[in-house]
Amino acid sequence: MMLAWTIYISFLGALALLLLPKGSATLARSLALLTTIVTFAITLTAFVQHRTGALLTVTQKSWIPSLGIEYHLAADGISLILLLLTGIIAIAGILFSWNIERRVQEFFAFYLLLIGAVYGVFLSYDLFLLFVFYEIVIIPKYFLIAIWGSTRREYGAMKLALYSFIGSAMVLVGLLAAYIVAGAKSMALEDLARFPFPLHFQMWAFPLVFVGFAILAGMWPFHTWAPTGHVAAPTAASMLLAGVVMKLGAYGCLRVAMTLFPLGLGPWGFHVLGLGSWRDVFALLAVIGIVYGALVALVQKDFKFVIGYSSISHMGFILLGLMTLNQLGLAGAVVQMFSHGVLAGLLFAVVGRMVYDRAHTRDLATLGPMNLNKAIPFAAVTFVVAGMASMGLPGFSGFVAELMILIGAWRAFPLFAVCVGIGIVAGVAYIWRAMQQAFFAEAGVEPTSMQPPLPPISIPERLGAILLIGASVAVGLYPQMLLNVILPALHSPLFDGLRKGSWQ
Amino acid sequence: MNKPAYMWNYIPLLMQILAAVGLAGFIIAASWFIGRHRNSKVKLAAYECGMVAQGDARGRFSVRFYMVAMLFILFDVEAVFMLPWAVIYRKLPATTGSRFFGFWEMLVYVGFVLVGFFYIWKKGILEWSKDKADL
Amino acid sequence: MTAVSPALRILPEILLTLTGVLVMVTEPLLSAKTSRKPLGIFALLGTLAAIAASAWQLHLPAGTAFFNTIQTDAFSVFFHLLIGGILLVTLLVSLNYFEGHSTYVGEFYALLLFSAVGMMLMTSAIELLMVFLGLEISSISTYILAGYRKRSAVSAEASIKYFLLGSFATAFFLYGVALCFGATGSTNIHSIATGVASGSSPLLLALALGMMLIGLGFKVSAAPFHVWTPDVYEGAPAPVVGFMSTAPKAAAFAVLLRITYTGFGTMSHIWIPLLWIMAVASMTIGNLGALTQRNVKRMLAYSSIAHAGYLLVAFTAFSADGLAAACFYTAAYAAMNVGAFAIISYLSGYDERRVHLQDYAGLAKRHPLASAAMAIFLLSLIGIPFTAGFFGKFYVFTTAMHSGLWILVTIGLLNSGLAAFYYLRFLSQLYMQPYDAAQDISEAPAQPAFVLGIAILVAAVLVLGIIPNRVLRLAQAGAATYFPCSGTNAAEVHTQPNLLR
Repeated sequence: MMLAWTIYISFLGALALLLLPKGSATLARSLALLTTIVTFAITLTAFVQHRTGALLTVTQKSWIPSLGIEYHLAADGISLILLLLTGIIAIAGILFSWNIERRVQEFFAFYLLLIGAVYGVFLSYDLFLLFVFYEIVIIPKYFLIAIWGSTRREYGAMKLALYSFIGSAMVLVGLLAAYIVAGAKSMALEDLARFPFPLHFQMWAFPLVFVGFAILAGMWPFHTWAPTGHVAAPTAASMLLAGVVMKLGAYGCLRVAMTLFPLGLGPWGFHVLGLGSWRDVFALLAVIGIVYGALVALVQKDFKFVIGYSSISHMGFILLGLMTLNQLGLAGAVVQMFSHGVLAGLLFAVVGRMVYDRAHTRDLATLGPMNLNKAIPFAAVTFVVAGMASMGLPGFSGFVAELMILIGAWRAFPLFAVCVGIGIVAGVAYIWRAMQQAFFAEAGVEPTSMQPPLPPISIPERLGAILLIGASVAVGLYPQMLLNVILPALHSPLFDGLRKGSWQ
Repeated sequence: MNKPAYMWNYIPLLMQILAAVGLAGFIIAASWFIGRHRNSKVKLAAYECGMVAQGDARGRFSVRFYMVAMLFILFDVEAVFMLPWAVIYRKLPATTGSRFFGFWEMLVYVGFVLVGFFYIWKKGILEWSKDKADL
Repeated sequence: MTAVSPALRILPEILLTLTGVLVMVTEPLLSAKTSRKPLGIFALLGTLAAIAASAWQLHLPAGTAFFNTIQTDAFSVFFHLLIGGILLVTLLVSLNYFEGHSTYVGEFYALLLFSAVGMMLMTSAIELLMVFLGLEISSISTYILAGYRKRSAVSAEASIKYFLLGSFATAFFLYGVALCFGATGSTNIHSIATGVASGSSPLLLALALGMMLIGLGFKVSAAPFHVWTPDVYEGAPAPVVGFMSTAPKAAAFAVLLRITYTGFGTMSHIWIPLLWIMAVASMTIGNLGALTQRNVKRMLAYSSIAHAGYLLVAFTAFSADGLAAACFYTAAYAAMNVGAFAIISYLSGYDERRVHLQDYAGLAKRHPLASAAMAIFLLSLIGIPFTAGFFGKFYVFTTAMHSGLWILVTIGLLNSGLAAFYYLRFLSQLYMQPYDAAQDISEAPAQPAFVLGIAILVAAVLVLGIIPNRVLRLAQAGAATYFPCSGTNAAEVHTQPNLLR
């Protein structure tokens, strides 16, 4: 199957970039762009050809037989959507880093390495393999931030790497435990998902693995790596971080933690502070994340921090959607993964590439007087569109996703759904405020005459923005496109345990 | 109940240790109790027939002294190993099950000693006066 | 069975000894001006022959020789091959290191060979006195090797410290052997096992076991017997550190395995908690200590303490898989650690010009290939997938989990997450800092032998990480000599002779 080539082509592209002769920046960019376009084409083909509901086995080979580890790549509807997202973000990220001049080849090599590993995670159906790719992601991520980053980059990069390593350590403990308890010498997802783990085991393995993954998904209170990491990262890296890497965490929560240990979501049998299960706990944390992220975003001075905290708020929606445990909520969570991937990518692109690379400041108070809506109108328009989409205006993907999650949450946790309302209102407010301060400063403020004038928005930036907006609008207008593949996937045997155990 | 019986073999050793410690303790304790204690400055001075110490006790020696001393010890100890071998030589064929095993083993051993000897000889360590700079 | 001549059972040792003796005899015959490289190449050939001989021993039926002092089996062969491999690579990367700096270049090769002989003897010995002999042969050689940079005070300090503390440790070991003899009336591991199983004089045996654990714990630099490690690794010449941080550890681990698993197998309730504590202490102290180090050799020294801890985790599992994991991890650790020190030895040269973290700033620009190799070794030390370190750790923790050591595994994994910090800091020095051209130090161009050595190590790290199967089966075959009846491993024993084809 072609899908496996998304991984190989990305890795080969990274290798080729390193071997290119020095000093051919344009060649390097074009090669990277070509690589991502090819991988995107592959995922798109697979997505279009996907016979709904079927599990697409890509390749299955024995790898380390004595431990029962296989090289098993496959994709169902959920994986396909995330693969598609990765393809889109990868292209957009390269378009938005067209202006990178320093160590171009290395930059794109790390970039492609990261993309390849992300594809790998979404395609892995053997948990060992999944973990392998999951760990590989950390290294290029670290380098991208630490070499090409800006504000406190080494700190941000190291914090991100350590959080990731600790998270994956927790995941590994859970996975090993599952592997041992199942005792079948198999790390295959299906085998482990089918195995009826004892209840008390699931009760502690579930939170362990879930939190391990949720650290990367930016779950409150383990989110602190995210704002610093995003701010420190170069534009393309923050796009990838918010766009796909955080999705890795959410994907892991759904694919591994919830699939393997569905009973861990069940009631404890007693109540602490009104919380009766891990499900309640994580739902509460998700809601706190939504509200907290939005409120903190409201008071940030740094433009990028606004977007960084908004990511935490939006990731909270995904986690809340997962915890609703009804079809609507789960499907909404997957759509939100896609939607937030695209929109966060776009927002970071506007802030990092369009604004910061030109104005060389991200301070909202300084940006205001620059009168950016006149200087770079395209950026202003893009930000308005992206902002609207992200606050959930109908017609964009964010609306569909958040609506589904809200309805799902309303059925499961009515009280939380009300609290989420606060988050949504705050969400409108912080986007509005950032928009106002950065682009449409109050009249009466003397517009600073720019010397020299800001360079106009380049073609690659326009293309990237159009691609991302297009993806969001397409999903917003015709969500059925995604739901058609998500719903059958949720009904696949893989989620049997979840459906039988605690599905509502 | 083999093992306790086996440990009984060590009883004489234990008695020896007890006797030694006991005797030493007894003598020290006895001198402490019987003797009279009168501390004076004279007691701390150098002993009557001794000499008053002069200079530093840590003199410097040529490193060659140490080399020769070390080599002497090495070859001496090596020679000592031959003694037990010589004593039980006649019994070796019976215990090893091979007639010449003990013989060849000692030959190998002597061979190694000779290699060592050859090495220090060629390295000039036995030549006292020859300057071999970096010892 | 009796057809196998005893000499064949120690054939690798014999070959290495003869090579070493010949090197030692030839050395003084050469004039002072002559290059000692031919001696090094001769030592290399001898090592290759010894490795071949070890591999050939796989075809021998497992059995004992020299009055039950030596036992060759898949387990001993695994460690022979490992030690031989370490020796080979060390010779390759140090072929030019001392040339022109020391008047004792020839002896360097001889000492390395003798030291390897001692270690090999340790791994195949089933008689504690034999173990002791091997320990002494290897230790005395490494004491000298540690002080090989004679004109440097830190090197002399390293040698003295290593010697004094090492002698104490060996004394402890010997005392343990004596107590063991007192309790069981034998120093043969199999007889000890019978004595231990009979359950007499448990107190004496526990004491003996503790003493031996102290002695061997020192050799593997496991906490709380690790204090010598940073000082010694800092002072000793870098190629020697690569050798002495891996090969003696491998040998000591082999002995530890034989003593605990075979000799004291029925007293596991005593040594498992002890090893548990040592494992936790080593991992934690090693990683915490490395966090604050600015000297790369000291940092790697602490990291080696931490890795000894991971290895002890595998021991604590006390199962066939645990044993295989310990063997595998030893090999993985050897590949990456020898590599890291080899690169340091190349970049900093004989006079140790680059020992601080900031000396490595931006070196990736100046030495892209050496830095790339270093990056691979460091990533492997962190435990990034597709490297030996990742699979080794994965296997170790899996087996520990299998034996129900949840807490230990959790502590270990958190530790390995923490460890990423200081390895990444080193990596970021290499790749992210601007290169200071003013501090340019012209290195001698890398010799073919060095490049070959590094290539072997990089290949080993990657092969062990990507297709670990073959080495894994060899390790499991070794483990099967201890747990002959355990499920899948029993099948592996029959395929033993084909393992290397």
